[in-house]
Amino acid sequence: MRTESFVGASWPWKVYIALFTLLFAVLAGRLFYLQVVRGEYYHALSDRNHLRIVPRPAPRGVITDRNGVVLADNEAAFMLSAVYSEFDSTRAPLLAGLLGMEETELDSLLEMASVKPFQPYLLEDGLSVEEVSGVADNLHRMGGVLLDVVPKRRYPQGELLCHLIGYVGYSELESTGHGGLVGRAGLEMVLEDHLSGEPGYRKEVVDALGRVVEEFGGTQTVQPSPGSDLMLTIDARLQRIAESAVRATGCPGAVVVLDYATGEVLCLASLPGYNPNRIVSGLSQSEWQAIVDDRANPLLGRAWAASYPPASTFKVVTAAYLLERGLIDRDYKPDPCYGTYHLGGTDFGCWKAHGRLAVVDALSYSCNIFFYQTIQLGSLDDLAAYCRTLGLGSHTTSVLPGEREGLVPDSKELDRLYGRDGWGLGNLLNVSVGEGELLTTPIQMAMVTGLFASRGGMPPLRIVYRPRELEDSLRLEVDRPPAQLSDRTVEVVEEGMRLAVEDPEGTLSDAFSDFAWKFYGKTGTAEVPGEAHAWVVGYLKKPRTIAVALILEHGGGGGTAGAPVAERILTEYLEGEVHEDG
Amino acid sequence: MRTGDRPDLLLILSIAAALCIGLLTIYSTAEAMAGTAIFERQLLWCVFGLLAMVVGIRISMRMLDELAPYLYGFSCLLLLFTVFLGSGPAGRWIVLDPFRFQPAELTKATLIIVVAKALADLRRKPRRGGEIYVLLIATPAVLLTWLQPDLGTAAALCLVVLAMFLWAGYGPGWIFLLVSPLLAAISSSSLILWIAFTVVLVLVLLRKRLAFSRWVILLGGNTLVAALTPLAWNLLKPYQQARITTFLNPAVDPHGAGWNIIQSEVAVGSGGMFGQGFLHGAQKELAFLPSRHTDFVFSVWAEEMGFVGGVLLLLLFWVIVWRITVTARKTVNPFSSFLVAGVAASFAVHVFVNVGMSLGIMPVTGLPLLLVSYGGSHLVTTLFLLGIALRAGMSWRVM
Repeated sequence: MRTESFVGASWPWKVYIALFTLLFAVLAGRLFYLQVVRGEYYHALSDRNHLRIVPRPAPRGVITDRNGVVLADNEAAFMLSAVYSEFDSTRAPLLAGLLGMEETELDSLLEMASVKPFQPYLLEDGLSVEEVSGVADNLHRMGGVLLDVVPKRRYPQGELLCHLIGYVGYSELESTGHGGLVGRAGLEMVLEDHLSGEPGYRKEVVDALGRVVEEFGGTQTVQPSPGSDLMLTIDARLQRIAESAVRATGCPGAVVVLDYATGEVLCLASLPGYNPNRIVSGLSQSEWQAIVDDRANPLLGRAWAASYPPASTFKVVTAAYLLERGLIDRDYKPDPCYGTYHLGGTDFGCWKAHGRLAVVDALSYSCNIFFYQTIQLGSLDDLAAYCRTLGLGSHTTSVLPGEREGLVPDSKELDRLYGRDGWGLGNLLNVSVGEGELLTTPIQMAMVTGLFASRGGMPPLRIVYRPRELEDSLRLEVDRPPAQLSDRTVEVVEEGMRLAVEDPEGTLSDAFSDFAWKFYGKTGTAEVPGEAHAWVVGYLKKPRTIAVALILEHGGGGGTAGAPVAERILTEYLEGEVHEDG
Repeated sequence: MRTGDRPDLLLILSIAAALCIGLLTIYSTAEAMAGTAIFERQLLWCVFGLLAMVVGIRISMRMLDELAPYLYGFSCLLLLFTVFLGSGPAGRWIVLDPFRFQPAELTKATLIIVVAKALADLRRKPRRGGEIYVLLIATPAVLLTWLQPDLGTAAALCLVVLAMFLWAGYGPGWIFLLVSPLLAAISSSSLILWIAFTVVLVLVLLRKRLAFSRWVILLGGNTLVAALTPLAWNLLKPYQQARITTFLNPAVDPHGAGWNIIQSEVAVGSGGMFGQGFLHGAQKELAFLPSRHTDFVFSVWAEEMGFVGGVLLLLLFWVIVWRITVTARKTVNPFSSFLVAGVAASFAVHVFVNVGMSLGIMPVTGLPLLLVSYGGSHLVTTLFLLGIALRAGMSWRVM
């Protein structure tokens, strides 16, 4: 055997074995160092790798008026948040500098974030482009800081219709958290389910240093599905006209306009209002407190969430009751009005000595004493029952947030208020002219007016125009007898309302003397401490089938203060409409 | 033809044990990845691999010797094909549904065979400059692999070829001179390194007792290379520089390759002495480990089985290269000896580069951990080569 001649047999094989052994020893040594010497350290480090779920908020549905004017939509906004468990607190000065906030301010935010250490906590939203670029450049140095683009709610019309639309705020629910919005007021709140959509989420694995490793699995990003859009019956143009007309008076007030042929509400103005954009972009505590403490209560949707004594506008209801029950006819004339009416030891006044009147003149001149006398032919409970068939004392819709029912007093109610013997005929007399315990909301008065205009045929009120299915599902369940308004009754009341405008002595004649269309109306002056509330209700048949109710708080007389405002609103609206049609 | 020796039982057992560890680890990673069939596929590949091993055992050395140029040429053509038309991850695959195939793995095997043949021929008929001829033969495979682009595998191929030269009796000094230009370029980055390199170069030259003209060429050439490298470096665009530094030192790019190494170190380190337990590697479960069933398979095993399991696997690999080296040493036929030595070197280089990467002491490359990593191409070629080594151990007397 000549083994010596073999290739590699002399020294190379020794080099091979020596090199291999050396290499493997190096590997084993390194393995020992990592696993045994530093095993504890790496074990602790590995525990800090974890799964993070970042919710992705859904864009909310867009709200428009009946003509597609956008009332609420979404814009993309940058949002910065931090996951406390991943945030390296030594980076706080860097982050505070980039955001231009005090370090103490950031510290207090981080303290809030520590409550849920594994979830993103909002640090700042609505970042400017400069801020975003600064943060984005340094993002890799700040583990646990997330920069996201989220839909932000925007109200392009500002204050317009603010009480009905409402506003949104950040959700505190975990499932919709991290930039998720939830309705806090108005339809944003009431129709939350319709508008909100389904939030998505992103599952990502984050290492010990707060950096995203990879999206988990690959199917773990669920896209949000946007909320459904909403079209309202409101006409933004009319709404704007009504709001600026009331704003010009300087009084708090409300205007409701509806189409009595369809039941669609065209205008729901409440003044004063607020700018929802300011609330959405975040008010300071003191700014918010200022809004809440404002004596004029800008958060109140007066058109439906405030109730007032309807005053003389209620006389159309009293008159209809008397006629409908056959207690009077159109020629019945009680004792003349001398300016006061004595009952027991009390004097009930009229604003003027009207003399001897029938019901049509009593309406057009707004005589109290006619109704003080004739109401005694009926009864309080019967009047209350009649009022309820018109929808007074109950909600007009199912969607208005915080809608008030008003108060239609009956004997049971007065017993409760004053005790069985604590009240008497005087209360009935007051109610007959819309004072006393009686309370109605502006939208109720508009609805009652619409019922007269449509001779009882007005469909239930609608605020949601589209989608139709939503409107159907929101329709108010009404379990009351249908409005009792015979043609004969309506003709008499309508004649009174017509003369209130056309008769030179009528309460609306001054304000509506130059009005281009035929208006049927009734004023009211609600006696309250301080200046009276001014009421106007009325309707047109042409060029639009609309009914209107207006109130100016402490505005003064219905005819002197309220009527010119109502006239201005209707003129401006109808002239625009005619112009458009032409 | 059949000559008496029994197969090397220790080698067979070590191979079987390494295969089993590979299947266990792949099973464990598959557990954490819902809806994958990688374990079942790997089982199938094992069957193909064992068939390839049988082919390796049965094939005649003479036939292999004659076929070597054709096999090598064919695999280089395939490689050329993937450079232009490759698909799959990193474009290194040839897809023939349902099979996907990496020509680079085949090329590793055919390169060893063809270099073994060239070195054996050179040994039989020595001639002046024959070494250059052998290096030229190896060049297409290295270049094409580099163009894949797979610099790591190309470098590994160079190391295997150098190791085979070593087996042929070319000493460390000779090999040092061969790679000296590359070392000169690297050493130019720091004065101390360059001085150390030049000192070693002078010592090697002194020991070789070379003629003066060789001195001038080697010393002058290397000094020139060292001087020009920084100039050339500054001509590169910053991103090109960044690519090279990232390759040479991945830790400077914590978001890319270096970051994978950090995650791998965390995984391995958290295994501790006895591991997190089979199927319980947290890093693996949460998908922190990249390529956890292919390139970083060792990290998964080390995380779940700890230091004890890691050393056991290293020991198995050491036994395999030891037994193959012993086989190469006793084999009479020069071609067989070079071939088997090449297999041993290739195996050792793969293990060191791959495990070294998992442990954070080698740069990130695409080299699989032979017998363990998921994938069919390298398993089939490796078992084929191991089959040849087994056969060589049984019939070492055949000239």
